Amino acid sequence: MDKSEIMLLCASPRRKGTSTMLLERIQAVTGSEVVFLPQKDSLHELVLVMQQAATIVISGPCYINTYPARLIELLEAAALAGGFSGQKLYGIINGGMPYIHTHQHGLTCLQLFAEQNHLSWQGGFVLGCGAMLDGKPLEKHMNRKTVVPAFDQFIRHIAAGTPSPSCLYEQAQSPPGKIMTQVFAKLLTFLVEKSIKKHGHDPKAANWYLREQE
Amino acid sequence: MIVIVSDDSKGDYGPALAEAVSQTETQLVHFSANALTVMPCVACGSCSGKTYGRCITQDDMQQVLPKIAGCRALVLVSPVVFGGVSYHIKKIMDRMAAVGDPRYRISEGELVKGMSGQGMNYYMLGIGDELSATERAAFLSLHEENRKIMSAQGQAFILSGRSGQASINKIAQEIVYG
Ligand SMILES: Cc1cc2nc3c(=O)[nH]c(=O)nc-3n(C[C@H](O)[C@H](O)[C@H](O)COP(=O)(O)O)c2cc1C
Repeated sequence: MDKSEIMLLCASPRRKGTSTMLLERIQAVTGSEVVFLPQKDSLHELVLVMQQAATIVISGPCYINTYPARLIELLEAAALAGGFSGQKLYGIINGGMPYIHTHQHGLTCLQLFAEQNHLSWQGGFVLGCGAMLDGKPLEKHMNRKTVVPAFDQFIRHIAAGTPSPSCLYEQAQSPPGKIMTQVFAKLLTFLVEKSIKKHGHDPKAANWYLREQE
Repeated sequence: MIVIVSDDSKGDYGPALAEAVSQTETQLVHFSANALTVMPCVACGSCSGKTYGRCITQDDMQQVLPKIAGCRALVLVSPVVFGGVSYHIKKIMDRMAAVGDPRYRISEGELVKGMSGQGMNYYMLGIGDELSATERAAFLSLHEENRKIMSAQGQAFILSGRSGQASINKIAQEIVYG
């Protein structure tokens, strides 16, 4: 495959986060620059790049159970522009929650976009616990022993231009058990509350907008 | 109060639903998402830290957030786009984190979060013609996942672009009394 024909698109507004880290891992094998979705201005230029790429890999965070609004805006603009003819599309979505089902919608959305606009959907990778990584290497992931080889296999599919099955990411991650879930809930809440208190706020107070209205 | 946020760029189901809800004398606010200027969430983290509970991006979302913060029900009306909502509606959803509760809870054995107010009902109304089974299932699953992560009640509806006022009235009844 011509290396320059792969478009690696980061759909996170955070340029040093987990979405970028995953693309850089792919980049190490396939080459090509990582393109960042601009948060302002027209998306026209980016649609042109998508039309010209042979393969598009989109990596983004999970916001409220699917990709962020700006990526949906790009997909809507691309659908309106048309001009696709069999471009291979792979997707990656990473979310904070340690589950797959909470982030899965993102990949379904990309698959539907591909099917409705003459691109060729090649599968993707759903990654839980992405917030804990916060851009750190995949080797720091909670399920590193299974996630690292699975993601590297996913990269090999991209490099070879072959479809990547969902069992690859499904089998690599298992949700925390009952006790760990309780530990997580307590620990994460403690950390969130600590940060809120550090900034001089009461985590248990009514929402700021409600207090403003009183 | 019931808050309806609709993308009316491809039809007037939002205003029709707002009209039907207003007939019941329920307190209602209706926003046309496509007529608002709302920037995408840039994940600055301020709403869960420095300005806890408040979004620092100054745009029309500052009118929407106070209404959502204390609402009894939130209704999102959108064309079904790739099995989800349009970007006009998704921008509103992403920016709602400011009125979410950043703490973690457990529901049905899984980690979830919640909204800042008490017991919000959450509805989604998708509009689309000749939707495939995958698109319909995806739209319903997005609502179900949202509902769970927000610890909310409520349901999703899908109407075709040819649905009449009777279907809208039925949904309004469900939202107000359901
Ligand atoms: C507005 C917003 C909404 C989010 N919604 C979810 C969510 O629904 N589920 C989840 O697991 N994580 C959610 N997250 C957390 C991000 O998915 C997570 O931090 C991710 O790792 C960020 O990826 P990035 O580093 O590439 O930006 C949300 C974050 C933001 C800012």
